[in-house]
Amino acid sequence: MSEQLMTRNPYLSVCAAIALMLVNGLTACSSSNPAAPVVEPSPVTGLVKHVFVIVLENKSFSTTFGATSPVPYLTQTLASQGAQLSGYYGTGHVSLDNYVSMISGQAGTPQTISDCQTYADFTASSSTPATNGQILGSGCVYPSSVLTLADQMTAANLTWKGYMGDMGNDPARESATCGHPTLNTVDHTQVAEAPSTTVPLGDMYATRHNPFMYFHSIIDSADCGSHVVNMEQNLANDLKSVSTTANLTFITPNLCDDGHDSPCANGAAGGYTSMNAFLTKWIPIITSSPAYQADGLLIINFDESNYVTTVSGSTVTITFPGTFCCGETLGPNLAPYPQTQSAGGYNLVYGNYGGDQTGAILLSPFIKPGTVSTVPYNHYSMLKTVENIFKLPLLGNAQTSGLVQLGADVFTNVP
Amino acid sequence: MQSIKPLFIVLAVAVLCGGAHSYGGHAAPRTHRPVADHAVFAPLSERAVVGREIFFDARLSSSGKLSCASCHSAADAYGPPNALSVQLGGRTLHTAGLRAVPSLRYTLARTPIWAHPRPTSLAERIAEKDDVPAGGFAWDGRFDTLHEQAAFPLLAASEMASSKELVVQKIEHGPYAGRFREAFGQDSFANTDKTFAFALLALERFELEDPSFHPYSSKYDRYLDGKAALTAQEQRGLALFNDGDRGNCASCHLSARGADGSHPLFTDFQFEAIGVPRNRTIPADRDGKFYDMGLCGPIRTNQPDPSYCGMFKTPTLRNVATRQVFFHNGRFHTLKEALRFYVERDTNPAEWYPRGHDKGGEPFDDLPAGLRSNVDKITPPFSGDKNKRPVWNDGEIDDVIAFLKTLSDDDQALNHR
Repeated sequence: MSEQLMTRNPYLSVCAAIALMLVNGLTACSSSNPAAPVVEPSPVTGLVKHVFVIVLENKSFSTTFGATSPVPYLTQTLASQGAQLSGYYGTGHVSLDNYVSMISGQAGTPQTISDCQTYADFTASSSTPATNGQILGSGCVYPSSVLTLADQMTAANLTWKGYMGDMGNDPARESATCGHPTLNTVDHTQVAEAPSTTVPLGDMYATRHNPFMYFHSIIDSADCGSHVVNMEQNLANDLKSVSTTANLTFITPNLCDDGHDSPCANGAAGGYTSMNAFLTKWIPIITSSPAYQADGLLIINFDESNYVTTVSGSTVTITFPGTFCCGETLGPNLAPYPQTQSAGGYNLVYGNYGGDQTGAILLSPFIKPGTVSTVPYNHYSMLKTVENIFKLPLLGNAQTSGLVQLGADVFTNVP
Repeated sequence: MQSIKPLFIVLAVAVLCGGAHSYGGHAAPRTHRPVADHAVFAPLSERAVVGREIFFDARLSSSGKLSCASCHSAADAYGPPNALSVQLGGRTLHTAGLRAVPSLRYTLARTPIWAHPRPTSLAERIAEKDDVPAGGFAWDGRFDTLHEQAAFPLLAASEMASSKELVVQKIEHGPYAGRFREAFGQDSFANTDKTFAFALLALERFELEDPSFHPYSSKYDRYLDGKAALTAQEQRGLALFNDGDRGNCASCHLSARGADGSHPLFTDFQFEAIGVPRNRTIPADRDGKFYDMGLCGPIRTNQPDPSYCGMFKTPTLRNVATRQVFFHNGRFHTLKEALRFYVERDTNPAEWYPRGHDKGGEPFDDLPAGLRSNVDKITPPFSGDKNKRPVWNDGEIDDVIAFLKTLSDDDQALNHR
């Protein structure tokens, strides 16, 4: 691995290569999903040193990026400043399995594809992982042997932080740091809480949109509370200097700001309207930060796409096509597709295991304004790209054979 | 404040600061019994002190005999002092309310404004059921703040039946006028509307600040703190209460500590349609064309969505064992009867509802026929199936009652021995 890496990247020092080998060795030894060695650097490896990820919710490419886009700040203002990835896909339905895939490369379980209404511990059915380090079993919270991008960052002496909108607004609901339900209990953060005298801002944090909470390697660590924090109370301050800006900044807006709810518990409109307002406020704060301006990459994606509704007589059918890309395969813990269920007088159809096309926007000093890429990418592509940027081993389905990382079609301003 | 149609002012509900007289015709307040000891708590703000005076001041009603505390009895966890389904109020104390009086303990500071956040994804609404309205004060959640709410019972024809002018006049010329001026300014009586608004704010402060509204002195609180042990029967009851496959009570009446260790309130403030039988002892319910459908109206007028019909806000179960009236319409008067309804509603509907054409029970008779599908028939303990057995037997119901008694605050346990 180091030979290829060093051949392709003249900036990589011998010392860094030694450090990388040590990191790879450490993570591989402690994981049941041993990471594959780095086989290719990103075009911005050694250049990008601060990655920011903002995940939005449940929107299809055709609507978001349509001619009358309901989120013009994203699709017009920001797209003109960076790169539009038209071929970006989610990796599943519904939310949580996508978030998990972004930071671990693990595919869905029967529980995560249903958003883990109960915050259930993962029960492994085998001690031997399947292809691409996929752990076998069911449940929500993966054992400590399953590593994440965050664990890799820590092991490589890189910094990371998760900033979660509204987390801890109601301390009786969840902690303001590392906030999650008690294991094996009902997740009461599934529904947003409206403002009250005691909680004047309400609490629209959703554990299921905070992927870090689904790994024992993180929630059991002593420093989880310093890594996963409330966004509104911390992000702007942390962005004020390079030294306080993590190498990886993962941002999950609250259920209103990310477009998930409409209307919202606090009375805001939600949907694209609140999403647009959130981005209009926060993107300039991020892009004006010293760390971003020096060597930043900002990824704004969606967890999954939307569905198609058809009506036949009195029957309403909601269909997620489940289109996938990039060599994604059915996770070993999931039943074959299509999957269907009937509820509340509706038919729900999941045509396949993919997350459908969402599109994404990237901003960086290493991207020319107005870049457009139609190359298919998904969350595993993003994970692979970030791991390669930070010279980390590939986790889970980031190892998928033939998976393409974000390349020169995206990073169009590399010196 | 929302406007109330004249017809329904007559039927107005006895909630929060609602005064009402009992059917028996005796308006005098009950002998004051012990409530939580205030001495160990921080002193109330000036406004809260004024609010306490107003809360107990019967002069503010048109009858001169009802105060907020008449219905929200301090000796009864700020709940009803008797077993009446609804209370009587009005100028002559003969006008019946429409709904049972809720307890004011514990929930006030944590009641969220009414909201129905909805996922933009219809699929999530369907598959994950995270699509529930919640919050607001009163059984139908129509008031977002306590001071908004407080105006209703003061003015409602079936409650204190007062007027802004009367309330202001009585305060201005009463024993605590000086305190009122200290709290709200020397010119606080210059404008009737403003003075009335100050009075509502004072009530709000009292209800939020006074520790008697949240004593946390029950055996269950001590149990959570490791200072008391539950008996074997109470433990069985707690397990049944929490069992999501059977009783499933804790799915709405949250029983676990909060993430910060705070003690539970035994409500999630969400709305639910459980199909409580019609209570024909309520005068309004004797009119076969009238239905109190909660969230969708007719008292609440701004949420006409038919899918909301029959939904009422989940009450706290703290001090439930010392109540004598249960559910929004006060249909049941013993805890055992209320619990039996939960577990036998679907398995033996004839026990609870009038006989229909098929000689069996006609379920959900307190909703128009076309809206009865709103009632929850899926979530345990409901099964929607006559052929299934009740999730609890008689002994298990007794176990749950034993547990619920541990939710009684010390003063309630003493007052209701």
